[in-house]
Amino acid sequence: MKILSKNGNELIMLAMKTDIASKGDYLIIEDEKSKRKMIVQIYDEEYLSSQSLIEDIVKDEVVTASSIENLHDPLNIGNISKIIRDARVFRAKIRAAIDLSGKLSSDVTWLPSRVYSNVRRLRISELDMLIERRGVFPIPIGKARGDNEDFEVYAEDLDGKLNIITGKKESGKSHLSKILVKTLVQHGAFVIVFDLNNEYGGLAWNSDGSPSPIHEQIMVLEPGYGLRFSLAYCGKSAMYNMLKNALDMPSASLREFFRIWDYLENKQTLEVEAFGNAINTWNINELVRDALISRYHVIQSSRLFSNNRNEDGLIKFEDVISKKRKGTAIVISMGKATSIARRMIVELVLSKLIDLLEKVVIPPIFLFAEEAHLYVRDTYWEDIITRMRHFGIYTTFITNQPDAIGDGIYRQVDNIFLFNFTNDTDLDKISKVSLADNETIRSIVRTLPQRYCLSIGKVVCDLPIVVKTAPAEVLTLGETKKFFI
Amino acid sequence: MTAQLNFQSNRINFSEFEHAFDQSLGQCLSSRLDELLKGKKIIFSSEDKNLVPVDGWGLRNIPYCTTPLTTIQPRMDNTTVCAMDSSTIQLAETEDGSLYGVKSGVVLSIGGHALIHFKIGPILFYLSEETIGHSQLDHRLAKLILIDSDFAKRLIRIRVERVIQMELSNNLSKSIILVDGSLKSSLFEEKKQNIKNVAENCLLKQNSMIGISKSSKLRILDRVSTPLAKIQGPAYMDVNLIIKSLVRNTVGDNLIAKFGNHNSPILRVDVVSCNSDKDEALGKLLANDSIACGYPETLRLAHHVSTFTYTEISCLRGHVLSNYDVIELASEDIRKTLLGSITV
Repeated sequence: MKILSKNGNELIMLAMKTDIASKGDYLIIEDEKSKRKMIVQIYDEEYLSSQSLIEDIVKDEVVTASSIENLHDPLNIGNISKIIRDARVFRAKIRAAIDLSGKLSSDVTWLPSRVYSNVRRLRISELDMLIERRGVFPIPIGKARGDNEDFEVYAEDLDGKLNIITGKKESGKSHLSKILVKTLVQHGAFVIVFDLNNEYGGLAWNSDGSPSPIHEQIMVLEPGYGLRFSLAYCGKSAMYNMLKNALDMPSASLREFFRIWDYLENKQTLEVEAFGNAINTWNINELVRDALISRYHVIQSSRLFSNNRNEDGLIKFEDVISKKRKGTAIVISMGKATSIARRMIVELVLSKLIDLLEKVVIPPIFLFAEEAHLYVRDTYWEDIITRMRHFGIYTTFITNQPDAIGDGIYRQVDNIFLFNFTNDTDLDKISKVSLADNETIRSIVRTLPQRYCLSIGKVVCDLPIVVKTAPAEVLTLGETKKFFI
Repeated sequence: MTAQLNFQSNRINFSEFEHAFDQSLGQCLSSRLDELLKGKKIIFSSEDKNLVPVDGWGLRNIPYCTTPLTTIQPRMDNTTVCAMDSSTIQLAETEDGSLYGVKSGVVLSIGGHALIHFKIGPILFYLSEETIGHSQLDHRLAKLILIDSDFAKRLIRIRVERVIQMELSNNLSKSIILVDGSLKSSLFEEKKQNIKNVAENCLLKQNSMIGISKSSKLRILDRVSTPLAKIQGPAYMDVNLIIKSLVRNTVGDNLIAKFGNHNSPILRVDVVSCNSDKDEALGKLLANDSIACGYPETLRLAHHVSTFTYTEISCLRGHVLSNYDVIELASEDIRKTLLGSITV
């Protein structure tokens, strides 16, 4: 490979057919004279094209189409000509430089020699060495494209961070998300998953049906089945958030609701049924009563609350976490829940977790939210990305609608795992707000095959890397039901 | 500065200068354009292009030229048409010689369809005082070739073409060999491989050889061709007398012909055929080659096969640099350097 030219922060490289490199690969340019090195990343690949070359190809095609060709080419010029026609141009973004002391530097203001520079592909393991990307808790997510070298991110780089996994439908988002959840749990982390398609339960099982290594650490909760709270455990704060944000209860009604709450608490009968009776007999405005009754019915039908506060199996997050010291994943299956119930669950769970984290009852947790825009209210996003991080909730959003996530979140994001997008609108959105440059995103992401993702952010020390995610070891659930198969 | 200029210009009497200029030049070259050009038909010239008026010059026929016009009737039999063409380029110069590339194309067709083509080359030749000594050329001609690259290219092209033509005429029988250009002996030919030998071979093997020139420098042919321009279909006129009186060393029958319909170009055609049966040779050509825009498709294809592409030229340069241990020197366009970069 040879350097042809420089345009802004990109180098244009000439490559022959034998130079094996593809989009997303890193190249190292070693300037023999100045002894400096530059690291660039290929983001686009084109044919070396000129008007005369095109004319030649057209002419040759016309001639060979007219009759059978026989060659007497003693100098073998025809073959050289074919090599030229197959020559390629790589467009590569300058990512970093290596100074004379061999250290990575952001000083890319110098130009490598076109004559005395050697260009070669950089293996991801070499890149890792150069950027000193290492950690204690590796998460092997697959193989680096091209090298087939194992590629891992480190749990430390997800810790305290906001992550987004996005890509079009069936590109492999959930698959990567499951790898992250599984390995985080194996490293002893506590993970809560808002599972919209009831698919994360499969983490407990291997694809052959045998129990997975984290079988004992997976806890699947469904409203009414495991996911049941006592009103006392939820507390006023979580209930207030749920009633106000999920059930849109007006202030007057909220006031009366908590009056009844206090009354029942004093009587030590704080249960759902007792609430129903109290609402009916409470001396209040009829409109407020109607509002309370309608919310009461929603609460009851959600099956999230127990009628008996001493009932066995009521969920207490702190108990679950203290029992499973080696890490656990609490999968909250919301596939069968109504949209209101989903919002109620999310409000309750998040409020309760914040409460517990504030009181330092539980350690920080990782939250995985599939298609969060379907159940998290707009104003809550900011809370998730600012306040909750400080409490110790580290969120990973998984979505196929990048425009459903506001720009504010993207600006706070630490890591993005980008799967294939072909739609221009999605690419526009992602490329505008992503941590990498527009051209890299648009060109690489558009052509990513299924299960390949472009990792951007802290996990890759801000050097985007294309990764082929590892095949599924766990049971795949949540697949689309089909009529004909 | 201005004073100096005034002083210098006062010393030259420009009116005298103009008078002397007109008088001296007018004796050999007339500039009375208003009289000379009045009423003339004109086409503007373009360098390195051979332009002809679309509908001919519209000249009146020369009254004393009573050349008969013969229509060409296609002869329907399966005759192989074999067309050849070649091209040369000057690839590089050294301190004592020049490097040339040559490429040839041979195309075989039958029944109006091209069957197979041979691409020969590119092949490199280096002409210097040392190498030209083996060329059996008169030493003055050899000097000229070393001085003028156009002559050198012509030498290489003719030598290569004759070799191929000899081979074709030896190996084919009862076929038509189509050649680009007129059939004429050249000073550059080798003694054993000249056009006359090729023609002789053709006759022995019952081949016909037809040389087709896209243009002719003989302006008289434009006048003679007036009746040919008016006829609808393919036809030819015998111009043996005219050509042989103007050009020495031509081979075969000299004709001007039109292979297509009304607007097809009129071409100079030289024919070597068995029993001097021009009608048969041209008839077989019409029947066994596809004629597009009044020009045989096989010869057109041979031309395209033989021309150098930009990629090939680049490859040849690369080949020379990497294989022959040469040192490439920086070069410049001296005209551009001296006259500036303003292109008009």
